[in-house]
Amino acid sequence: MITKPTQDEIDAVLDGIYEHTLNGQAEPVVALTEQALALGVEPLGVLFDALIPALEEVGRLFEAGEYFVPEMLVAAKAMQGAMGILKPLIAKTGAKPVGTFVMGTVKGDIHDIGKDLCNIMLEGGGFELIDLGVNVPPEVFVEAVRQHKPDFVGMSAFLTTTIPMFRPTMDALAAAGLREGVKIFVGGAPVTQEYADQIGADGYAPNASVLVRKCKEMLGRA
Amino acid sequence: MNPRQRFNAVVNHREPDRVPIDWGRHVGSIHRAGYVGLKHHLGDEELRNEDAVLDRMVQNVYPDEKLLRKFNVDFRWLEPHWVGVQEVEGEDAYIDMWGIKWVKMLNSYSLYQSPLAEAAIPDLDTFPWPDPYNPAIWAGLGERARWLHENTDYVIVADSIKGGLLTKALQICGYMRFFSALAGELDFAEAVLDKLLWLYKEMWSGYMAEVGPYVQMVYFTDDIGAQNNMLISPPLFRRLLKPRLAALFDHIKGLGDVKLSYHTDGSVTPVIQDIVEMGVDILNPIQTSAMGMDTYWMKEEFGDRLVFHGAIDVQQMLPFSTPGQVRYDVAKRIWDLGRGGGYILSTCHDIGEDVPPENVLAMFAAAWEYGNYPLDLASVLKPEDLHPLASKPDLAQQKAPIERRVRPKR
Repeated sequence: MITKPTQDEIDAVLDGIYEHTLNGQAEPVVALTEQALALGVEPLGVLFDALIPALEEVGRLFEAGEYFVPEMLVAAKAMQGAMGILKPLIAKTGAKPVGTFVMGTVKGDIHDIGKDLCNIMLEGGGFELIDLGVNVPPEVFVEAVRQHKPDFVGMSAFLTTTIPMFRPTMDALAAAGLREGVKIFVGGAPVTQEYADQIGADGYAPNASVLVRKCKEMLGRA
Repeated sequence: MNPRQRFNAVVNHREPDRVPIDWGRHVGSIHRAGYVGLKHHLGDEELRNEDAVLDRMVQNVYPDEKLLRKFNVDFRWLEPHWVGVQEVEGEDAYIDMWGIKWVKMLNSYSLYQSPLAEAAIPDLDTFPWPDPYNPAIWAGLGERARWLHENTDYVIVADSIKGGLLTKALQICGYMRFFSALAGELDFAEAVLDKLLWLYKEMWSGYMAEVGPYVQMVYFTDDIGAQNNMLISPPLFRRLLKPRLAALFDHIKGLGDVKLSYHTDGSVTPVIQDIVEMGVDILNPIQTSAMGMDTYWMKEEFGDRLVFHGAIDVQQMLPFSTPGQVRYDVAKRIWDLGRGGGYILSTCHDIGEDVPPENVLAMFAAAWEYGNYPLDLASVLKPEDLHPLASKPDLAQQKAPIERRVRPKR
């Protein structure tokens, strides 16, 4: 006869998902995610009780200078493996994402590491993410905003010569009557809060972890 | 003092007659569009070299000798050649000797495809690595070095064979692949680094056999810093890169009577002592726009062991300042880093096409005007910059390990 698992058993599995995500070990994270589901944990429970806290801890360790890009990257990849299992299940429940985020590297720039780390952390934070890729012209941002009606648009640029593309992209959104409906974030190595303010962006984040936190704050979900 | 005597004083931590000025290397020249702008601004249509591309990736150019003299540049650089470059048909793109594909975006080339993105350790044995003995890499450089040595007083520098251990590993494996390896597949990471270490050693042997007798300085580039902290953790740097870079620098310095300038962009404050221990004589470029790279603190802390090379920021300061602000920044860097000698003034990287020509002229003019010893900047600098409190950067990476939190329970 099948006995109902105890809370201790469930906690042990969720602790395992959390720890292995922090260590960036993709295989055990996937295996334990399946085990948690088999024990009857809801998909959203795995997400909110283990994976999101793990990525929040990764973000905290990164901001504290304890984690660096390699550690953050493998943690995020480990989480992605679990998300591959959970996403379709969560979609079936009709649960709404925390928010929607359209992301792209601006026209003339194909640097993608910073953007990709933001994508992974945002998805891990419960956002629906639409990645437009790199070298994205203003009209593609406009079309994506029209189609997906996101809460946020994120623009990434790595070079002092490509950050001037932020403004025309924002202007194009304004011309299409879409600027008011979204919050715009800008980021990338040469970008500063001062620059973001100067061009009238709604937000700036120096790294992926801060971006997720600020977005949640803006939505009142922090 | 002539430039070589000046350099000699600086690298031996003695006061020279003036702060030497450097410009014109593969990560410290000027973008061709900026060069054209400068040429028009100067109204000198005879200025040559706007098509003389120095580094294809960043599209900078060799500044005209006339300009190097106008700006009182003390250094002349030898540039290893690009060999084995394949053009990609139908695209503005090329594949370099490492098999890495670069595509043109706006005004420079960006990394597009890495040949070892899917590789495992056995693939490293079968991969077509570049031939480290290909004499075309340094063809003609020995002759130019000897000529410069016999006919001029300039400091002659052997520029880097582009790319270092970590930089090249990231490019050839792809950033995602190699960063992931650094967090969990150290065997693979070490195998790649060992291969690169061997290749660079062999290449430098051939290079120095040509130019060694004539050069006073060698330059090696390998970025370990990012904007707000290091690319990898200090412990990992110490374990993986420090011993290999130390071995390479020992090898290179054994090939001639040279001082070694090591280039890393970004924030590297937690490992500057390690850099000293690797046998580095000169640290470049002191990216002052990166976190914690406080020039006054750095001189106080490491000025007896390191010479500083660079510190004129091209990311924030030069593009976004007025000429007056540029002059002030130059004075501040000379004061911070040049007290007692030990400073070579240079741009941290290329002068981009977004830098106004007025700022380029202001920088070189201020370097000439303020760089005379004994330094007399009392009437130029504000009191708080003349006597700053060394603002020790927040060395978060050096703090005691931060305890991990356990999973919060609902």
